[in-house]
Amino acid sequence: MTSVSKKAVAEDNSSDSKPLVELDHVDKYYGELHVLKDINLEVKKGEVLVIIGPSGSGKSTLCRTINRLELINSGEIRIDGKPLPQEGKELTKLRAEVGMVFQSFNLFAHKSILDNVTLAPRKVLGLSKEQAEKEAMELLASVGVDTQASKLPAQLSGGQQQRVAIARSLAMHPKVMLFDEPTSALDPEMINEVLDVMVDLAKNGMTMVVVTHEMGFARQAADRVVFMADGQILEQGSPAEFFDHTKTERAKDFLSKILTH
Amino acid sequence: MNRLTKKIFAAVLAVVSLGALAGCGSSTVETSGPKITIGIKFDQPGVGYKEGDSYSGFDVDVARYVAKQLGYSEKQIVWKEAPSAQREALLQNGDVDFIIASYSITADRKKVVDFAGPYFVAGQDLLVRSDDKSITSAKDLNGKNLCTVSGSTSAQVIKDNFAKSVQIMELSGYAECVTALISGTVDAVTTDDIILAGLAHAKGNGLLKVLGKPFTKETYGIGVKKGDSQLVTTINAALKKMVSDGTWQKDLTKETGGTGYTPNKEWNPPTKFNAENSDETVRQ
Amino acid sequence: MNEMMTLLSNYNVPAAFWVNIQLTLWSALFSLILGVILVMMRISPVGSLRGFATAFVEFFKNMPLTIIMVFMLLGAFVQLRFQFSSSFSTNFYWLAITGLSLYTSAFVCESLRSGINTVPLGQAEAARSLGLSFFQSAGLIILPQAFRGSVAPLGNTLIALLKNSTVAAAASVATETSSLMKTMIEYNASMIVAVFLIFAIGYVILIIPIGLLTTWLSNTLAVRR
Repeated sequence: MTSVSKKAVAEDNSSDSKPLVELDHVDKYYGELHVLKDINLEVKKGEVLVIIGPSGSGKSTLCRTINRLELINSGEIRIDGKPLPQEGKELTKLRAEVGMVFQSFNLFAHKSILDNVTLAPRKVLGLSKEQAEKEAMELLASVGVDTQASKLPAQLSGGQQQRVAIARSLAMHPKVMLFDEPTSALDPEMINEVLDVMVDLAKNGMTMVVVTHEMGFARQAADRVVFMADGQILEQGSPAEFFDHTKTERAKDFLSKILTH
Repeated sequence: MNRLTKKIFAAVLAVVSLGALAGCGSSTVETSGPKITIGIKFDQPGVGYKEGDSYSGFDVDVARYVAKQLGYSEKQIVWKEAPSAQREALLQNGDVDFIIASYSITADRKKVVDFAGPYFVAGQDLLVRSDDKSITSAKDLNGKNLCTVSGSTSAQVIKDNFAKSVQIMELSGYAECVTALISGTVDAVTTDDIILAGLAHAKGNGLLKVLGKPFTKETYGIGVKKGDSQLVTTINAALKKMVSDGTWQKDLTKETGGTGYTPNKEWNPPTKFNAENSDETVRQ
Repeated sequence: MNEMMTLLSNYNVPAAFWVNIQLTLWSALFSLILGVILVMMRISPVGSLRGFATAFVEFFKNMPLTIIMVFMLLGAFVQLRFQFSSSFSTNFYWLAITGLSLYTSAFVCESLRSGINTVPLGQAEAARSLGLSFFQSAGLIILPQAFRGSVAPLGNTLIALLKNSTVAAAASVATETSSLMKTMIEYNASMIVAVFLIFAIGYVILIIPIGLLTTWLSNTLAVRR
């Protein structure tokens, strides 16, 4: 597997500039249920943020609020300094700049692998068919599925599908990539092929927010680990700090359960 | 009334009114003693018409007279709707004892049912607005709008033989045609003259007239089950009596009076009640 | 059998069926267009559009077709003076198609909605997160999959439409099959069974291939997940 092309990653990797993603006193309810409680979080350009926590802790919801797949009840979310717009042209433009990889891949089931990757660049960015296909083939090669380009998603393994999904997001040259439990739906033997692609991406300076249960990935690739439980951020720090000097009881409890398995 | 009850009530009401709209449904008045079931039209004012629980029209008058001669009182009659397409089946299945429903005697029908009568000889004619002087015969219908009921061929007869460029509208009933005629959507309504006269009498309010120039001959008979020659003879005797004692003329005047309509004198009232051998309907 | 041959040589039965086929094809086209617009309104983020489409579909779905047809003729034409053409036959033909299309579009919308329910929510989320607009994700992602998932109900709707086209008689289209059948019965009372058989067989001949095509298409086009 070749390294994910640098081209797909934003040029400016300096981490001292202002935050790329900001969450400011964000609250969200599902009816009575308070799923996000006063979340404050910043992600710098080029930073790889890994969010972990027990299921139901609100980490997936948090990830989905960043490109407004979930609405928030109060607070503010800013991308590159601009608040998230309402539904409309502005929002679609913003979503094009924020890549998203889902737990269930969500490849377009009626379109070939190549069409999955070229669709948005052609329809949203206005690329020509030739240009879009050329870039798509490069991206597919970089995640190692270029030989499958003419197949339909259902003909690929889960790991291959998820790698295509990553290539599909990268084709839009996003400023930041959101990963919502990208390996949770995969058979164990396929997890690593997806994580390898993500590690490559991180090395190349992509700004990433990753919700995952893969502690190995967190240790290896994260710049910062955020621990969430009951809709709150309880603890955050570098992987070394978090894993070797865990502060809160909830996080210790969580890690002990995960690591004994 | 709680909401559910209201909903159920509304639903039942809707179903009942639909049934009424579809025009299907037969009267089954419970009476004591033997009963006689007679098939009539329910939708031809002046000929065979049902309004609420009362029945009127010339066919109904004839039916009542014949039933009385057969020994049945008014209360012993069960009226059943006999739409054109179902008349033969109703007789063949024994659902009705006889049918008086503007039922023309034809050679083809005689293959499957027997006829008594004729009790009236009608002819296809036109109903127009009284103030419309432009239509004096079927030929004047070129470029005009003509109404008839769905499934009737009378309008096609005019288009084929008299007025090639007539525009035809088919509605579900004659009453709707009259509405369209009065409102000016159409210029004429066509079917048998007695039906038109009945319509003008019942719905016309003096605004409509029958042209009085029939261009076909429709011989109305009383349909009975094939092979029941006994009943045919009895009915024919009753019809003869009805004509000779003046009831026939009295009833016809009652149903069509005030419209200036007189049936074709050459054919009416019938004198020979020999439907079995002659007097067939002549269609152009 | 002889009776049927006699009837077929005396009446132009194929011409009557051709009228029903034409009514069906035009109405299928217009109800498909209208049904797609309605279903897009029903999945749109705009509440008032959703409300309107829901009301429209519920109204026409629950209204008997005969009443719609009678309204087209007596309400729209006679009372409101709405007409497509000064020629009666052309006018009634298109009034009937309008009534059939309005009525059928409600069922097309419902069929497509059942198809949309087979498309996982993730497909729309993926489309939106790639920056596709509402119309792009509806037109490129959701509806193409919904169509493939609703071939069977759409086929049934088409069959129902063909049969319903006989109700055009209520809008004064007198050349179609049910009108011809009434005429044939009027003049051939002794051959009613043969008359009925001719039309029954005719409709079976038309409808069976639609059913087979629907099943075949449904299997061929099914989206594998």
